[in-house]
Amino acid sequence: MMFRWKATAAVAVVAALALTGCAGGETETTGSDGGRADRLTLISIAAPTSYDIGAGAEWGNRSEFFEAVFDTLLRKDASGEIQPNLATEWSYNDDNTVLTLTLRDDVTFTDDTKLDAEAVVGSLERFRDGTSPQAATLAGKEFAATDATTVTITQDAPDPSLENLLSIAPGLVQAPSSFDDENSATTPVGSGPYILDSASSVTGTTYNYTANPDYWNADAVKYENLTINVMEDTTAIVNAIKAGEANGAKIADNNTIAEVEGAGWTIESNELDFQGLLLLDRAGTMAPELADVKVRQAINMAFDREALLQSLQSGYGTVTEQVFPETSVAYDEALDSTYGYDPDAAKPRLADAGYPDGCTLNIMATAAFQTTFDLVAQQLADIGITVKYTDPGASNFITDMLAPKYPATWMALEQNPDWQLINFMVGPAATFNPFKYQDDTVDGLIETVQFGTEDEATAALKELNAYLVDQAWFAPFFRVQGSFAVDANTELAFWPTNAYPSIFDFSPKN
Amino acid sequence: MLSFILRRLISGVVLVAVISFLAFVLLYMGGGNIARRILGENATAETVAKKTEELGLNRPLLAQYGDWLISALTGNLGRSWFTGELVSVSVSGRLVVTLSLVIGATLISAIIAVVIGVLAARRGGAVDGTVQFLSLVGFAVPGFLIALILVLVFAINLHWAKATGYVPITTSFSGWLSSVTLPIIALSIGAIASVAVQVRGSVIDATSRDYVRTLRSRGLSEGSVVYKHVLRNAGGPALAVLALQFVGLLGGAVVVEQIFAIPGMGQLSVRSTVAGDIPVVMGLVITFAILVIIVNLLIDLAQAALNPKVRLS
Repeated sequence: MMFRWKATAAVAVVAALALTGCAGGETETTGSDGGRADRLTLISIAAPTSYDIGAGAEWGNRSEFFEAVFDTLLRKDASGEIQPNLATEWSYNDDNTVLTLTLRDDVTFTDDTKLDAEAVVGSLERFRDGTSPQAATLAGKEFAATDATTVTITQDAPDPSLENLLSIAPGLVQAPSSFDDENSATTPVGSGPYILDSASSVTGTTYNYTANPDYWNADAVKYENLTINVMEDTTAIVNAIKAGEANGAKIADNNTIAEVEGAGWTIESNELDFQGLLLLDRAGTMAPELADVKVRQAINMAFDREALLQSLQSGYGTVTEQVFPETSVAYDEALDSTYGYDPDAAKPRLADAGYPDGCTLNIMATAAFQTTFDLVAQQLADIGITVKYTDPGASNFITDMLAPKYPATWMALEQNPDWQLINFMVGPAATFNPFKYQDDTVDGLIETVQFGTEDEATAALKELNAYLVDQAWFAPFFRVQGSFAVDANTELAFWPTNAYPSIFDFSPKN
Repeated sequence: MLSFILRRLISGVVLVAVISFLAFVLLYMGGGNIARRILGENATAETVAKKTEELGLNRPLLAQYGDWLISALTGNLGRSWFTGELVSVSVSGRLVVTLSLVIGATLISAIIAVVIGVLAARRGGAVDGTVQFLSLVGFAVPGFLIALILVLVFAINLHWAKATGYVPITTSFSGWLSSVTLPIIALSIGAIASVAVQVRGSVIDATSRDYVRTLRSRGLSEGSVVYKHVLRNAGGPALAVLALQFVGLLGGAVVVEQIFAIPGMGQLSVRSTVAGDIPVVMGLVITFAILVIIVNLLIDLAQAALNPKVRLS
């Protein structure tokens, strides 16, 4: 009997030692070779879609997966400025309808085929003709290889966002040799800084990469190995951080920041999204009240934005009343106090609009953001507006919003660079202008942004932003802080223009 | 016995076909605009329409199901609409992970439950009271809470095990052990509680039978009476509960895999359902159904082997 107990105890000790020996051992950034650290382990909150650039290439919270294995034609540096990448030079013709790009001549794909102008044209066409979320951004553009290192992009009208687009998903270049290979969805062939180790990766969960030995920009690669773990559960992310099982992690919930900082991690941040009400039915086809600008202005006065920011984001973010981001030339700090929190002034404005007893507003809701909806309803009730919520179900939320089935909605929207933002939520064909609302002043300013000189465009953007605030097209509450945590061994320069940092902007501290 | 197995297999095939059809219909009924869910809010209406056509979502539901069924019968479950990975690859890779958790938890809970169940039944008194109290606690405390406590104590504070992720056994045995230990414990607690109570009750019931008194009067040792005769009779109901627990653990793995960020079937189920990745969800439904049918068949066979009084019919 004694022997059994001893044997059991010995097995338990060996097991404990085995467990202890292998727990929490993934965060080494030492063991450098040739100036590089051994491994960078990151946590992402969204798994990549297909690696085939025609089927699923995306930026935002998925950029890191694509940036690891592909190059973009242009790239953004840590400050968000456009820099050369595969294209070393680029210039427009006189009327900004033809962009000519000069390519590097020393780049090969990881299958040893050459990256040349034909390959770039093939990738651009594949993206344009495919079904990636941003495929429409290249619609109507024609691509041509003038010679081995020159590509021209021709468009009917100027596209002020084109250079930015070429630095994100639409600018990714995939080896044409992999176009017809169905496995390119999970086994990418690019020219990027890393090569995906498909054998040790688990699609959707764990992605292991090794440094590309033939990468043309080797100095920019600071780690021999890269691992990206996808975790959608906030608790799992915080646990991994506390257990030291990563070097960097996207923070999905700002309410966990204090806990993360308590574990000795540093938070880097930017602001890319705003949350607020989209007052979509500005012509009043579904909700006649919203056709009156005074009603929309009264709605803007109803919200105690500081309190909302505190309640919903633990104060991480900045209150705002405009949809253009702080990085935009259109941004004007003064506009953020246009309406303020003034329910007493809101009521007479509603009365002026013909609603002295208030009105009812149909808004869509979803259970995942119930606190937000409760607060919105309470603050609108304070000025006499009764909110009638309908929950179409999480899977129908966006579909019903864009159908459109509701005159107004709460939403968190990306604050893209100016021209993309206009085409996303302002222009008559914008995705988030589902009622296709048009306004002559807005149309005129958009035309100047597109066709005017740089100075004219800048002035028009400022005027457009001020006009949208004055006309209360939206009722923004705050810009949400995008947060990324890094451990004590890692440095990060978090660019201001994307939800996930560039993998080139991580570096080991020692 | 062979005809029994054949009949069960045939009824299993019919069951899988029915489940697959119901799952297909339910997915489409609650799916909203699937192409929009795949592409997100940034895609234009034109791109969404293109995706809808590309995936064949604009065709009649029965035609879509028919195509899926024909393809599935030839062993081709298609590709994920989201990642482009073959569904068979996606599901089989994760099946190994989930089974290592569920089988581990089933074995551990079976062993511990039998030991403490027999102890409680035989010793009675304080031991019985303690086992019953702990079983009640095991029932009452939710699995996710146990998982969170285990992570906090053993992974974050003591660093004895991994807090997140999974290491294949082929990569490192100690790494594998480190990654599955806490999830298996988290899954086992509730199962131990259920099976132990069942074993306790069955053993008490069996020991009061006449044949046990006869065996004792013939001078058989208590150990022989309990382990050779009583447990055989008491094993039937316990096995039935264990089978139910196995199926329940497959469901429990969904939560545990999320908390431990383990790439198993549970995690894939949540992700693909939220994303509207119907080929993957269908692959998972079929796999779960087949798994449950096989487990139930094996339990029936085990019960027959354990107790000759059980006739397979």
